[in-house]
Amino acid sequence: MKKKEEKTGAQALVDALAKAGTEVLFGYPGGTVLDIFNCFPEAPFQFVLGRHEQGSVHMADGYARATGRPGVCLVTSGPGATNTVTGLATANMDGVPLVCITGQVPLGQIGTDAFQEADMSGICRAVTKHSFLLQSADEIPEVVAEAFYIATHGKPGPVVIDVPKDVQRALTAAEYPERVSLRAYHPESTATAGQLARLAKLINEAERPVIYAGGGVLASGAAKEVAKLARKAQIPVATTLMGLGAFPETDPLSLRLAGMHGTAAANYAINQADLIVALGARFSDRVTGKLAAYAKKAKIVHVDCDPASIGKNVRVHLGIVADVKDVLTTVDSRVKPATHDAWLAQIAEWWKQRPMAYRPMHDNVIMPQSVVEAIDRATNGEAILATDVGQHQMWCAQYFRHTHSRHFLSSGGMGTMGFGIPAAIGAAFGKPDHKVVCVCGDGGAQMTFEEMVVAVEHKLPITFVVINNGCLGMVRQWQELFYGKRYSGSILTVKGRLPNERLEQDLKYDYLPDLVKLADAHGAETYRVIDPAKLEPTLRKAVKSARTTFVEVIVEPRANVYPMQPGGQPVEGMIFS
Amino acid sequence: MKEELHRLNCFVENRPGVLARIVGLISGRGYNIQTLSVGPTEDGTVSRMKIDVLGDDRVINQIILQLRNQVNVIEVTCRRANRK
Repeated sequence: MKKKEEKTGAQALVDALAKAGTEVLFGYPGGTVLDIFNCFPEAPFQFVLGRHEQGSVHMADGYARATGRPGVCLVTSGPGATNTVTGLATANMDGVPLVCITGQVPLGQIGTDAFQEADMSGICRAVTKHSFLLQSADEIPEVVAEAFYIATHGKPGPVVIDVPKDVQRALTAAEYPERVSLRAYHPESTATAGQLARLAKLINEAERPVIYAGGGVLASGAAKEVAKLARKAQIPVATTLMGLGAFPETDPLSLRLAGMHGTAAANYAINQADLIVALGARFSDRVTGKLAAYAKKAKIVHVDCDPASIGKNVRVHLGIVADVKDVLTTVDSRVKPATHDAWLAQIAEWWKQRPMAYRPMHDNVIMPQSVVEAIDRATNGEAILATDVGQHQMWCAQYFRHTHSRHFLSSGGMGTMGFGIPAAIGAAFGKPDHKVVCVCGDGGAQMTFEEMVVAVEHKLPITFVVINNGCLGMVRQWQELFYGKRYSGSILTVKGRLPNERLEQDLKYDYLPDLVKLADAHGAETYRVIDPAKLEPTLRKAVKSARTTFVEVIVEPRANVYPMQPGGQPVEGMIFS
Repeated sequence: MKEELHRLNCFVENRPGVLARIVGLISGRGYNIQTLSVGPTEDGTVSRMKIDVLGDDRVINQIILQLRNQVNVIEVTCRRANRK
């Protein structure tokens, strides 16, 4: 009998990653992962070198959000591993499948405060779906297979594999398993016949139904089924931030975004509905506002693959733990066509009363909302839009026509500034045939600007747009509305800073850094727009370019995001200007 | 809702890190564990954890669902601990 071939743990890891379907691996090297990097020149997948570990995780995240396939990243121990924490938490909150491999000091040195040692399985416990600390090279293929399984089954999420250096160097003959069978983790669940019958009955009897679609619809690939149900029974559809693209906003049944910065039509409809069909959503506090006043008139049906999310925030009349697509496919034949004319007329009236609109505040100053509208027109609504976090993120949610699944990439639950630039890069690797546009504020852009090099060196034709208002706009907005206009810590220009920052007011520059020069230094094709008339022509030119482009748009600094239903308020508390 | 002492019975895979994950899940949400005991079962690969936590039914139910979501948790049952 031929003896099984032995290889190093590092080689077994690289082979297992390839077997698991890895096409692109994002990462950054260091002492405890040198053995793994040593195997890369012959690896069948592409390696992408980020410039900071947080950037590498967000790239893997953007890749996963855009493609639906798990993102993979690799970093070293200690600071490399701890730098991934924000990225892991971001993916964990939004249910994004990631496999993150971290180096670890040799087994014998664990617990000795060795150089670049950090207890990664302890640190990442609260921000991952699961983690493994490898003890032997023989475990590697099986653990990699399990990690990909866990990351992608049930509610997707990030999984960490911590690999001590001596485990990478040990020899093993272990092979990649044919299939994964976990003793204790069986997330698959289907709706019972009784649940489906009740769901159909509730839908057929409803007079004022609303579908409330979240990120779970995209994760399940159920956008077509949602549209079929909505059109057949004439049910209007509101989406969460994570659910944008789950239902085309060009459809008259679309209520667009619900929640804190959602449309009046969406929030009023939920408030007046007699039935809410929640699909792959989790009733986050940004969506519900004051819980006690939320959807008081409605029966709530909640379909989600995560049993822990049902009944967590709101009491539901019917909870179904199952895949959204499966449920909609099977319930379809029992749902009767309906019209709901009076209800849709009422919604049309709300749209008329409270349309999504904004007014210019000063002559010849660009309104930030118009930047998003111009991007929408310049890309014909077809771009994959990655955002950072803050005001511009909400304007991107509100003023772009979201029509496709997995085209809106944004940190929803965690609200991670610095997400946008690397996520856009990850998406461009995953979807090379699509135009990717990244919109950031001037605050968040500076958090991960260094990753732009990756786009330039790989010649990714991403258009990075920075909406520059010289401040941390969303913080400034809250201070204007709720903190007596005391703009503490939120102003990025020299002018307007508070005395306790002790800034020299006679600085040569009012604003640092010069973002266009910075982007230029990174090798991007750069533009700066101040004149409203030049906005759309410049954006059109930028998105058509085959190079990585960077457009800084100087906008009205005092524009706010409206409508707004302040946190913890009922729908009656919505403010419009 | 009234806070009562609940006894959670968890059967988990006997692996390093599982206890920390479960305790972290409960304490990380601000709930104080009153009593905790862990021991082997007849099946050496499975451990049994008895955890007493103070909380209302809604909170405890949420904790149970989150525990069941854990990859190494085989089974969780619960009863009110103060009933002799």
